[in-house]
Amino acid sequence: MGGACQLDRLLRVVMLSWEFPPRTVGGIAAHLFNLSRELVKLGVETRIVTCDFPGAPESEVVNGAHVLRVDSYKTPSPDFATWDSLMNVNMQKETAALISSFGGQVDIIHAHDWLVANAALGLKHVFRIPLVSTIHSTEIGRRNGLHTDYERMIHQTENWLAHESWRVVCCSHYMSGQVRWAFGLPEERVTVIPNGVDVSVYEKDFDRAEFRKRFALPEEKIVLFVGRLVYEKGVQILVSAMPKILSRVNAKFVVVGDGGMRDSLMRQVANMRLTHRIVSTGFLDEESLRKLYQVADVCVVPSLYEPFGITALEAMAAKTPLVASNTGGLSEIVEHDNTGTKVSPGNADSVAWGVTRVLLDPGYASWIKLNAYQKALHVYDWAKIAKQTKEFYEQILKEYDKGSWKPT
Amino acid sequence: MRVIIFTWEFPPRITGQLAYYVNRLAAELVKKNVDVYVVTYNDSWTGFHQGADGIKAYRIADKVQPHINILTWMLSLNQEAERVAADIYYSTKHELDVIDVHDWHFVPAAVTLKKALRIPYVFSIDSIEPHRSRNSGAPLSSSIRSMESLGLSEAARILVKSEWMKQELKRYYNTSDDVVDVVSPDAGSWMNRILGAYQRRWGVPVNWTDFFES
Repeated sequence: MGGACQLDRLLRVVMLSWEFPPRTVGGIAAHLFNLSRELVKLGVETRIVTCDFPGAPESEVVNGAHVLRVDSYKTPSPDFATWDSLMNVNMQKETAALISSFGGQVDIIHAHDWLVANAALGLKHVFRIPLVSTIHSTEIGRRNGLHTDYERMIHQTENWLAHESWRVVCCSHYMSGQVRWAFGLPEERVTVIPNGVDVSVYEKDFDRAEFRKRFALPEEKIVLFVGRLVYEKGVQILVSAMPKILSRVNAKFVVVGDGGMRDSLMRQVANMRLTHRIVSTGFLDEESLRKLYQVADVCVVPSLYEPFGITALEAMAAKTPLVASNTGGLSEIVEHDNTGTKVSPGNADSVAWGVTRVLLDPGYASWIKLNAYQKALHVYDWAKIAKQTKEFYEQILKEYDKGSWKPT
Repeated sequence: MRVIIFTWEFPPRITGQLAYYVNRLAAELVKKNVDVYVVTYNDSWTGFHQGADGIKAYRIADKVQPHINILTWMLSLNQEAERVAADIYYSTKHELDVIDVHDWHFVPAAVTLKKALRIPYVFSIDSIEPHRSRNSGAPLSSSIRSMESLGLSEAARILVKSEWMKQELKRYYNTSDDVVDVVSPDAGSWMNRILGAYQRRWGVPVNWTDFFES
C-alpha cells in the first residue's frame, strides 16, 4: 500500500448487494461470492450486506467474508422498484449500525448496481466514506431504450449512483463505453476490471457417459444454451437455426434456464416438428450445470445484448467449444478462430454456420477450446481480479486522504 | 442547543397546514437561542437560505426524476436530507443535539442518522396514514404505514398535538403512553414543552431553568 494511506489495520470494505448466495437472481451473487473470497485472501476485511433468504442465517462468515442478511421488506409493496426502495431503508439502517460499530472506520463502500443505490448514497454522506460502484448492466441497455417512467426512474437512479461514485467499475470495455455514453461520465471515472471464473470447479471426475444419458442419445451431439429465456439473450435465434444445423449434424439442443419466452419458444419448436430434438431443463442446480458444460459438444451464446457474458467464461473454463455473438462484452472475451467462433448477432444462418463448423471439425473444436481454457485460467482468474480490485481501492484511498472531504 | 427540523413542506412550499406550523416552531426556537436548521424539499429553490427571522433553511431537490409514486420519490430524497444533515454535523464539529422529524417523509434519514452518528430524533406527528387513507390496506398505503411504524419505534420522544392523536397512535400502532408528549400549539406552555421533549432525547429529566434564561 502507498505511503499516504498506511493503515494500522486491515483495509475494510463494506459491499452492498441485493443478492448473495444462496439468494441468486442474476450474476451479481456469483461475482460477489468469488470476489469476496479472493479479497479476504489478500488481507482485505470484507463485509457484505445483502437481502435475507429463507433458511440462510442472518449473519455468517463465508470463505472469510462476513455476511449480514437484512430484512428485505416482506409487506406487500406496489411494484418491484418500490419494494427495492423500501428494502434499501432496512439495508441502510443495518449498515449504518454496522459501520458505527467500527467507529466509522470503514475505508470503502462498494455498491453493486442501482438496486442498492439509495442505501449506498446516504451512507457515503453520513459517514463520508468513499463510495465506489460496479455497474453490471444498465437499464437503457437491458430495455434497449427508455420507454416508461418506471424505466426512466431506474436510469436516473443509475445516473445518480454513477456520478456520486468516486469511481465506477465496469466488467468490460463495452460496458465502460456504455456507462460513459449513457451517463456522460468522463473516462477517468470508469475503471474496467473483468469478471472472473473459477476453473477448479470443472475439474472433478464423474461418469460422463452416464450423466450424458440424462440429456441425449450417445450418437447425438449436445448443443448447449445457458441463460434466462428472454429476448436479449437470443435463444430464439438458436431455435431458428435448429433446422439448418440438424440438416448436417445429428444433435440434441439442451436449453438451461427459464424466463418469459419459454412457452413461445416451445411453440416455435413444435411448429418446426422438432420437439424431440430439444430438452428444456428450466433452472438447473450448479453441480449438474457444471457437468453439463463438460459433456456438451458446443456451447452457444447467441445474445443480442450482453454486458459481459459470464456463460461464455464458464464454457471456456469447462473446456466446451464456444460459439458466441460478436456483441458487447462477448466480443472482448472471444477472439474469432482462437478462443471461439464469433457469429453475427440476430442472424440464425450465422449461428447455424458457427455451430456446424465446430461440430464437424474436431481439430478446430479442440484448438479453440484449449486456447479458451488457457485464457480463462490466466486472464479471468479471480485471484488476479481481486488483486486489481484491491489496488483500485488503495488508489482511491490515496486520493481521499489528500482531499478535504474526509472528516477530522 | 442545535436542532435540525425535517419537513417536506416549509414556506414557500405549502401543501397543508404543516408548513405554517413548522415555520412558527422554527421562529420560536430561534427566539429561545436554539440554533435551528430546517431541511426541506423544494424542486426549484434549492440550497441554503437564512431569513430575517434567523431560521437557517436548506432546500433540497430530488436527484431522480421522474418517479413512479410518492414512496420512491421520498425514499430517494431522503439521501439528500442525509447529505445535508451530515454536512451540518461535520461543519459544526459534531455538535448536533437532536433532529425533529415532522411526519413520515424523512423518517428513514432520521433513523440512519441515529444509527450512524448517534443523533437522536423526536417524531412530531401532524397526521397519520390510517387517517389520510381511511385505513386502506392497499400496498402503497401499508408501505407508508410501515415507515410511520419505523419512525415511532426508533424515536426518542413522540410529539402529538392532541390527546386524541395520542389515543389514535395507540389504536393503530400500539404506541406506549410514556413515550408520547401531548404539546398543543395553542397552549401557553407549548414552546417549553417542545424544548422539554428535545431535552429528554436521551431519557434524562428536564432542567426547566435552562429554558427561562433567554
